[in-house]
This record gives sequence, structure tokens and C-alpha cells, in this order.
Amino acid sequence: MKTQDTVLIALFAALIVVLSLVPPIPLPAIPVPVTLQSLGVMLTGAMLGPLRGGLACLLYLLLAAIGLPVLPGGRGGLGVFFGPTGGFLLGMALGAFVTGWLARRLVRTSSQGAMSVVGYAVACIAGGIGAVYLIGVPWLASVTQMELSKAILAVLVFIPGDLVKVAVASWVAWRVERVWPILRESP
Amino acid sequence: MMIEPLYIQGNRWLHRLPAKYKLAALVAAGIGLFFIQNVWALSGAFVVSGALVWATGVSAGVWWRQVRGLIWVVLTIGIFAVVFQGWLPAAVVLLRIGALVGLAMAVTLSTRSSDLIAVCERALLPLERLGWVDASKVALALALTLRFVPEIWRHYQEIREAQAARGLARHPVALIVPLIVRTLKRAQQVAQAIDARS
Repeated sequence: MKTQDTVLIALFAALIVVLSLVPPIPLPAIPVPVTLQSLGVMLTGAMLGPLRGGLACLLYLLLAAIGLPVLPGGRGGLGVFFGPTGGFLLGMALGAFVTGWLARRLVRTSSQGAMSVVGYAVACIAGGIGAVYLIGVPWLASVTQMELSKAILAVLVFIPGDLVKVAVASWVAWRVERVWPILRESP
Repeated sequence: MMIEPLYIQGNRWLHRLPAKYKLAALVAAGIGLFFIQNVWALSGAFVVSGALVWATGVSAGVWWRQVRGLIWVVLTIGIFAVVFQGWLPAAVVLLRIGALVGLAMAVTLSTRSSDLIAVCERALLPLERLGWVDASKVALALALTLRFVPEIWRHYQEIREAQAARGLARHPVALIVPLIVRTLKRAQQVAQAIDARS
């Protein structure tokens, strides 16, 4: 891994911190406030690729684990990981990896604009929603001893906001890639 | 914006205990508590963890800022558990969550981030021998991230203000594209600077 890769991982981890800390945006017709944390995860995966994207998320989680207030609302510390939503945090690293892996396969440099956006969107849905919930929901169910079906029901309320973030992330990834194509050069 | 650790200055017994023991105890408690079903034993654990948080000397304001974000999650879970499983299982679940979060908070409040980073580096050593990770690169990445959070935050504010001055409403795409391009440019500069000096 070159210096450039280490620096990109560190700066994207910092970007996820900033996106986590900006005030939540209330969206019309969506009952829960939307933080940009998961948008950061999708963007990191889509732009840095599976390896660097996953590592950037792990770095962000490491900062949270050692007690820095980098999670939404200025929270941090190991307590959050042991709490009911800890699985969603660990799922973020997998989510960035899956997003990056799929994005590298679905989006080709030769792809047309619309096709690129669709490719990124599929990658973000599978990684940023699918993989995150795959770990987060069973974790929530086991910590709270809820039945899995009820836990799924409980998190459905977040899905509309997540889909908005998928749309934003895939559009942004496409726009940035046009002006900054060197990101694709390494893993 | 400054990125302040949650650590509280202090010299109580919890602060003096080496970080590796505290982390090991936390991990052990995290696993152990999931096997306890007895509500009285869990109440005991909850009281002990509350006492440990108090023993760090944390002020009520700092404590509340940490707990505030969690309260809605815990309340929702509590209501779900009461409705679908009854009072006793609800109490078991909530006491367990409370005990774990309290213990972890006590560790975080009483241990410097640098000490925790040192424990992380030592924990990474076996992986480094296997050639899987480079501990010095991890340390570099951690330091860079801490250094650049305030800068990216400032970029965010500048872009926000520039757009507000042009009469634009808060628009996520218009905000994030320039933010990321600036971050990428900065990453390139920093990487070149590091390479030039090494």
C-alpha cells in the first residue's frame, strides 16, 4: 500500500467523522431525522473501492472505540458497540467493502452517465443498506431479545431515508469520478 | 470545532488501573453478561457499573450528553419488550444494556485515548508478525485523521457559507461534491509531502 492510499484512508475516515457530526437533516414525509453518517460510508466504499473503503470505515470505528466523540450526536466510546445499535456500526465496515466491491464491478470507465449512476446505486443499496442491516438487525434482535421479524419491522422506518442517501451517494460518486478518475488506479 | 476526547482528567484508582486490564475486563463482561438471565444478578451488575461511572468523577452535563443520544433507542426497545414479552424480560434486557453501556463508559472516561491507541498497537503486533498489518501505518492514519477532522469541518462551513451567500438552500449534492473534491486534492498534497520527506 502506497503513502497515497494510507492518506486517502485517513482523510475519508475524517470525512465520515464530519458527515456524522453535521446536524441531522429533516426530510419531508420521513419521520426520523437523517444523519449523513451512512452517506459517508456509501461514498467511501464507492470511491475508494473495497479495500481502502473498508479500512477507512474501520479507522472511523477505531476512533469511536477509543473514546472520541465521532458518532452522530457527539457520542463515542466502547459502550455504543455493546449497545443495541452496535451491529449497525460494525456493519458499516462490511457495507463499505461490499459497496466498493460491487461498484468496481458494475461501473466501468466506459459506462454511460446513466448506467454509472445505476451501477453505483445498486452497489450502495447492497452495501450501504443490505450489508449494514445484515449485521445490525440480528445484533439488535439478540441484544434486546426481540424476535427477528419484529426487529426488521422496527428498522423499516429508516429505509426511506437510506434510499434518499443512496440516490445522493450514487449521483455524487459519478460526478466526482468524472473530475477525479485516478481513484480507480489502485484497489 | 475541536475534537475533544471523552477522557476526564483525574487520578482516581480507576484512572491508575492499566488500560489493558480495563479493556480485558470490559470484553469479558460483554461476553459474560449475555449468559446471565437472572434479573437480580443483572440489577447487581447495573448498580456496579453505575458506581464505576460515578467513580470516574464525570460531571452530570458530560454524562447526559453521552446518554441523551441513547435514550430514544433504549426507550423504544423497552416499550417493544414490555408489549411483546412482558415486564420481566423487558427488565432483563434493559438492565443488561445499561450495565454494558455503563461499564464501557467508565473505561472510556477513565482512560486516555493515547493509552487505548497503545493497547491497540500492541494488540495488532501478532497480526503484524503475520504480515497482515503495518502498525506504524495504522498509527500514521490515526494521527492524520485526528489532524484533518477540523480542517474538513472548516471546508464544510466555508462551502455552506459560500452557497448561502449566493442564496442557495442547503442542498446535499451541491455541498458534498466540492467537499470531496477538496478532500481528494488535500490527500494528494499530503501524500506528496510525506513522500518528499521520507
